Amino acid sequence: MTRKDRRHIESFLSVGEDVTLGMVIIDQDKCKGCGFCAAACAAAALEITADKKCRMVEEMPFCISCGDCVAICPEDAIELTEFIQFHRFFRYLDRGEPEQPRKF
Amino acid sequence: MGEEETKFKPPESGADFNLVEDVIYGRRSVRYYKKKQVPEYMVRRILETARFAPSAGNGQTWKFIVARDKKMIDEMSEAVINVCKRAKKFADYIEPGGEKKEWRAKMLMRRMPNMFHPIPFGAMKFIAEGKLGVWHGAPTVILLLGDKRCPGDPAIDIGIAGQNMVLTAHSYGLGTCWVSFATPLGMNRKWKKVLGIRYPYKLVTSIALGYPRGNPDGYVKRETQAVDWFSEDGTFKVVY
Repeated sequence: MTRKDRRHIESFLSVGEDVTLGMVIIDQDKCKGCGFCAAACAAAALEITADKKCRMVEEMPFCISCGDCVAICPEDAIELTEFIQFHRFFRYLDRGEPEQPRKF
Repeated sequence: MGEEETKFKPPESGADFNLVEDVIYGRRSVRYYKKKQVPEYMVRRILETARFAPSAGNGQTWKFIVARDKKMIDEMSEAVINVCKRAKKFADYIEPGGEKKEWRAKMLMRRMPNMFHPIPFGAMKFIAEGKLGVWHGAPTVILLLGDKRCPGDPAIDIGIAGQNMVLTAHSYGLGTCWVSFATPLGMNRKWKKVLGIRYPYKLVTSIALGYPRGNPDGYVKRETQAVDWFSEDGTFKVVY
């Protein structure tokens, strides 16, 4: 972590540059709009639209990539694709690729 | 000394997860609860597992407060929401027209990087806006207090005791969620009096407990972490 990074605190006003937010992809064919995922979301990032489909909120979804929506979805329609990362002062260090629980 | 029979056997390499591992990997935070109250004996059983948690110097310097009165939990949530609303008014720079507050928010983040980390900062905003609950309608809330005079760090002991409770609760089919947004109650004069939080106790965190709606259990992907590994033969490697 460089000195510049340490001096600079991330701003949510520059998402993409300072912060990469988590992201889930919802299989719209499988989604039945039950709303469990939106209720389980830790960051109010999911919503059910008028036509009974789940989607991420349009205005800055604060996804923290916890995976609770993936686990609760009864149709297995949600997949976690992007993991939250900060790029300056709050950067998570020493991270590898995401994996399921492994059996060594 | 001869080899004695132990109750537990080591797994073969690549063997299926045993029951304990399954409880650990399958537990997810629950934010959607049924109204049905958890029976008292189950809560007592869960608290009992905390009593046998390891602690620094066997200090056991924790205290638990169980709140099961819906009205009381709602009032506590209200108090937390009010604190979040005040903090949002002071420092929410994300809302439209709030760009001028950015320096204030950044000052808080610099001074108190743990409390005002961007993630709890976002959660605070959502709680203030009513998009996120505090205890998510859980019928039982356990507040975890630590003794400031304990050997070592009270937060570590409470973390260990709390994890015992959370995993036991999951093994009973209950849902739990760690809620550290309870801490403002420990600074509120009214709630300090009602809950009896006084020196040497400090409110550290809380756990929401109840029957989950839907089936929240399941394995998910998590980032792997780098582990520095100094081997027996003197070599060094990093494993993930």
